[in-house]
Amino acid sequence: MRAKASESALSPALLTRARLLTAEHTKLSDRLGKSFDAKTAKRAGELAPIANVLKEWVNANDSISELKSLLDDPSTDAELRSLAIEDLESSQNVLPTISNRLKKSLIPRHPFADLPCLLEIRPGAGGDEAGLFAYEMLRMYIAFCTRRGLRPTILKQETEVGPSEDRLSEAVIEIEAEGAYDLLRTESGVHRVQRVPATETKGRTHTSAVSVMVLPSFPENGSEMDSALNFEDPTSDYYIDPQEVRVEKMRAGGAGGQHVNKTESAIRLTHIPTNTVVSMQDERSQQANRRKAWQVLRAKLAEARQEAREQELVQLRRGILGGVAKMGRGDKIRTYNFGQSRCTDHRTGITIHNLDGVLDGGDGLDTVMESVRTWMADREVEAMVAEDQAKEQK
Amino acid sequence: MPRIPFSMILKAHQENHLLPLLLKECRTIDSARNELRWLREQAVRDSKSLSRSRSGWRTRLRSMCQLRSRGYPLQYILGDQPFGDLEILCKKGVLIPRPETESYTYQAAKLVRQMALDSSDKSRPPSNARPLRVIDLCTGTGCIPLLLHALLAPHFQKLSITGIDISPLALSLAQKNLEHNLQLGQLTSRASTDIHFHRGNVLGNGSDDSILSIDSILQPYYLESGSSLADQTGGCDLLISNPPYISQSEFGNGTTARSVRLFEPKMALVPPSLVTGDEHGRPEDIFYHRILALALKLRAKITVLECGDIVQAKRVVALSETLASMESGQFSAEVWPSCERDLLENGFHATDGSRGVIIRRLP
Repeated sequence: MRAKASESALSPALLTRARLLTAEHTKLSDRLGKSFDAKTAKRAGELAPIANVLKEWVNANDSISELKSLLDDPSTDAELRSLAIEDLESSQNVLPTISNRLKKSLIPRHPFADLPCLLEIRPGAGGDEAGLFAYEMLRMYIAFCTRRGLRPTILKQETEVGPSEDRLSEAVIEIEAEGAYDLLRTESGVHRVQRVPATETKGRTHTSAVSVMVLPSFPENGSEMDSALNFEDPTSDYYIDPQEVRVEKMRAGGAGGQHVNKTESAIRLTHIPTNTVVSMQDERSQQANRRKAWQVLRAKLAEARQEAREQELVQLRRGILGGVAKMGRGDKIRTYNFGQSRCTDHRTGITIHNLDGVLDGGDGLDTVMESVRTWMADREVEAMVAEDQAKEQK
Repeated sequence: MPRIPFSMILKAHQENHLLPLLLKECRTIDSARNELRWLREQAVRDSKSLSRSRSGWRTRLRSMCQLRSRGYPLQYILGDQPFGDLEILCKKGVLIPRPETESYTYQAAKLVRQMALDSSDKSRPPSNARPLRVIDLCTGTGCIPLLLHALLAPHFQKLSITGIDISPLALSLAQKNLEHNLQLGQLTSRASTDIHFHRGNVLGNGSDDSILSIDSILQPYYLESGSSLADQTGGCDLLISNPPYISQSEFGNGTTARSVRLFEPKMALVPPSLVTGDEHGRPEDIFYHRILALALKLRAKITVLECGDIVQAKRVVALSETLASMESGQFSAEVWPSCERDLLENGFHATDGSRGVIIRRLP
């Protein structure tokens, strides 16, 4: 933990928040003692860590003030005094760590944190080279997931027309594990590659870009979700009105029915209000293509809506923080430099000098992702503090 | 059919030397690429199960692609065709299920459910009511009865679905498909008692040959036009059929694709020419005359018929109206799909291609 001294102090606003939530936890625990209710239990479970850390924090503070009063007391003998000084030092040392943990526990859970996810990879600027690197990134994430014991399945893999099959034009993989969204959301953004491409004849280094998007994956049946995430419930933020989605089964003109035997089974969905288009043709079964297309459409719309909501928050905070703390999906987040065999994440500044290890989805990638997770949490805490301060000023 | 531009063949060849072979039938690179992937997956699967060497699947893939380039249907090579969530086994000699038929089947299931919901408020005790009865004529692979069972079983406690075909080859494949999808878990176990396949001749009158006429199979379900509907044993809720409907001229003049003409059974495509005078109108419509007459005898509440194009569908609507005018009772007959949304969603071209006819007996 890179806890700076200034971070160890808890703002009164955060402390108030922690106390309120702990009070809520106590109340819920009482209620659970009388009668069990799944919803209450879930909320209580979410609040428990806050209550625990707050208790630790209060205990630590209590012992510090106790020791201080002991030291202030002139009647304390010398031996006790030296013991007290030692204790005080160690207590003061652990306090920042506890404060930090308390802050982190106060970060509101991401609404999609528990969901499985879809990971979409698309080449950006850089032509063929971008397509080639997009394919390598696809392999990187598949290796990463497999190593973690997650089962990645390829929903869609489209390659460029050309001599080789490894130039991706779009790929979507599904990671069907609870919490996969939270694990992989560090990866959303533009990844940059710098190298001499296989297609380059004069030995020049090229820079190309690949964009990655991590999307929440919803079950086929909306009612399996919490009401807040139920896309079939018109009151949910993620509701999709089927009337607003144009479904097209692709088919050419000419005779049909018994006269011909076409094997195409492509489906295209268009969400009319946002003009979000998803097409799927990988499976022979139209039903399967349809299901997959809906899954991707739901994921894209949910992510877009969540992002819009976060953007609103950013606007609110902007005045307080004096800058934008959040990086959007359009921002360059990481560079893979083959010449120097390094991978640098631009959010945290971390550099790993084992590029092959990163691209194999190994520990290097883990380290980078972990650093981003910490970075994201720090940004959230900053935003939270700023928000609470703004509330107090009002 | 327009010639494939040389540039497209070249492009396909650069990507994969087998692609141009598939382009002949597929017509677009996208579609050829999909078929190549499906064929490759099958070749690899085959070579694993037959424990051939690694070069085995490449040879197998090449011969598959060559077969395909001669127009041999993909489904006969791969051995199956998805139909809804079912996997329908396909074999030479039996017509391959088409996506349009899939759409008609879904629409039919939707209408049956709607009808049941509409009539459920009228106090009819469901416990002793006769099962929901569905009859599919010219069943082929059995795809329609099987998909209807998958779609309707969750909503109806009692179901009786009968599939009828003249071809013993088709019937044995239909039975195999029933077992295959039971095994896959796509059908619930009751399907084996709810669904029955029978050999019967829809056009026959039982006087001349060894095949049972349709009358002798369906007789128990016939209702006299005077008898009350309270008679719970007879009648039929859905009569559905994808009969042969291609005319001799459309079979030969290029309207029917080479692959279909050369490799699929003509018996399932072109109705036999019966020398019975002009009472049946056009020869390609003879099945509709017979099936519509059956629909009346069975008092079918809903009749769904696949037709070759809008013109034929309109003829069938007109025919149904003529027959209905001689009956007591009100009917509605329409061409489906006809609205923009239904057309798009089901992949129908605005003017070309197959259409269905849906006839409903109004209460």
